[in-house]
Amino acid sequence: MNFLWIRLIAIAFVLLPLTSNAKDRIFVTNERSNNISVIDAKTLIVENIIDVGDRPRGIGLSPDSNELYVAVSEENKIVVIDPDSLKILRDFEAGSDPETFAVHPNGNIYISNEDDAKATVFDPTGKQIAEIKVGLEPEGVAISPDGKRVIVTSESTNMLHVIKTPENIIESNILVGSRPRSAVFTKTGNIAYATAEISGEVVKVDINKAKIIKTGSTGDAKSKPKDVILSKDEKIIYVAGGRANKVIVMDANSLEIIKGIPVGKRVWGLAMSSDGQRIFTTNGVSGTVSVIDTNKNEVIKTIEVGKFPWGVVVKDK
Amino acid sequence: MYVKKSICLVLMLFLPSITTAAEVIEIDFVYVGDTNHSSLLGIKQGIDESNLQGQFLNQKYNLDFVSSNEIDEYDFSKYIAVLASLNTQQLTTLAKQLTNKPVFNLTDENNELRLNCIPNILHITPSNKMKSDALEQLQVKKPDSNAKPQSWHYSFVKFAARDLNKRFKKNYQEKMNDHSWAGWAAVKMTSDTVARTQISSSKEILKYLKNKLSFDGQKGSDMNFRVTGQLRQLILLVENDKIVAEAPIRGVAKPNTLDSLGILECEN
Repeated sequence: MNFLWIRLIAIAFVLLPLTSNAKDRIFVTNERSNNISVIDAKTLIVENIIDVGDRPRGIGLSPDSNELYVAVSEENKIVVIDPDSLKILRDFEAGSDPETFAVHPNGNIYISNEDDAKATVFDPTGKQIAEIKVGLEPEGVAISPDGKRVIVTSESTNMLHVIKTPENIIESNILVGSRPRSAVFTKTGNIAYATAEISGEVVKVDINKAKIIKTGSTGDAKSKPKDVILSKDEKIIYVAGGRANKVIVMDANSLEIIKGIPVGKRVWGLAMSSDGQRIFTTNGVSGTVSVIDTNKNEVIKTIEVGKFPWGVVVKDK
Repeated sequence: MYVKKSICLVLMLFLPSITTAAEVIEIDFVYVGDTNHSSLLGIKQGIDESNLQGQFLNQKYNLDFVSSNEIDEYDFSKYIAVLASLNTQQLTTLAKQLTNKPVFNLTDENNELRLNCIPNILHITPSNKMKSDALEQLQVKKPDSNAKPQSWHYSFVKFAARDLNKRFKKNYQEKMNDHSWAGWAAVKMTSDTVARTQISSSKEILKYLKNKLSFDGQKGSDMNFRVTGQLRQLILLVENDKIVAEAPIRGVAKPNTLDSLGILECEN
């Protein structure tokens, strides 16, 4: 009898952390405090801080959401964190100056190496699969939902490089406005949107024809767009307006501005909850995250995080 | 002929689906001035970057050199633009000989030259007036400031200046300065224009540069030219080798735009 109790208690101790810790969270990289703020998605309170190393920027989850990846730019590595226990599991060399990345449905990680004019592909163990030469200052990485194409934006060559997988070779190069920073594919993968920071534009691109089909202005001279994301129904795009200190809501078809949502200063990062109800923004100069309710397109909460928050990801699956 | 066309095999790496020969457009720049001048390293950096972009677009950029005492004899006809580190007199004479061809002024800060508005000179380097206005703005806030106004600084990090400084240092083991930045910017804005417009006539390039440019000089806002031919740009204020301010200085500059610095109009 005693023996059985001991066994049951032991099993409970093993299971308890797995079940109770697997909660919904928002993870934010703080570029200048060298850590990650962990926000409880229910209470919207910072529950933990994880030190990761010098200049963390890009952040993302594995397809099963069991691993969190962080690009630690100045240390040339990807740090892998358990998003439930918040423990650092491992890290691996990720080429020179990894800035941001996207995770392919097959689990491979596509990384832009900012100061090396290339993108590199790693499997989750850190084994390099491919290296693709792109333009100067590669930054944004987007992967089509079917995994067949990857876009890497090169900021100082003003291009979207469309890479086909699994070959990992460039299929087309699309010249866009000055300093393209971020891109997003539609569900079909036939259309992508990208921001051009210096020219203050969003472009809508036909990926098969490798052509810009529409260009929209993000408004005033201060608006230097960075991240772009799509609403769940793909009728709206949300654009981080940089020093305009607002999230610009645009019609995905006409690229006309519907609304500007005031957030914190120098907004760059955007992430959406999987139900499409919430958007989280990183406001670099303010050191905050704004929480937007997408039904009203209004900020419902502002959360203090670290210095110069950069990337953000929602784990709610 | 501004552009020399040649047949060349496309780099297999970048366009693997095309296996036939494709036409590569060659675009030639010429540098005029002292070949030990730091503007030349910036020009070389610009040529490298332009070729990095060019490999995706079948464009190849080349650079020739002419010393200032060979100008009179030299045939400039094939060049898309002239990159000059010359004094006021030499620059003016050369520009007047080369009507409709962009002549980039990389080093001369003379105010008169801006007032004169010679149509084909594009001043990348800021005028003395831009610099003194920047310092005056700072002195409203800090009356005793003795900061040095500069167009660039090796420790500048904002607006991806960090990235440009880093790659320049890596390539040339030297810190990027005002003149090397000017050389880089002149080449880069020209090749950006060629890439965007597919134009390779220097007359048309000049027109585009003067009227339609939206250039990412890695100094923040998009850059373009005044009617005087002067590039609008922010000015850094440097004390003890550290950036202490960026002009236009908020709260002081009137208007609070780049046009609070320097000469705006031509002298008729």
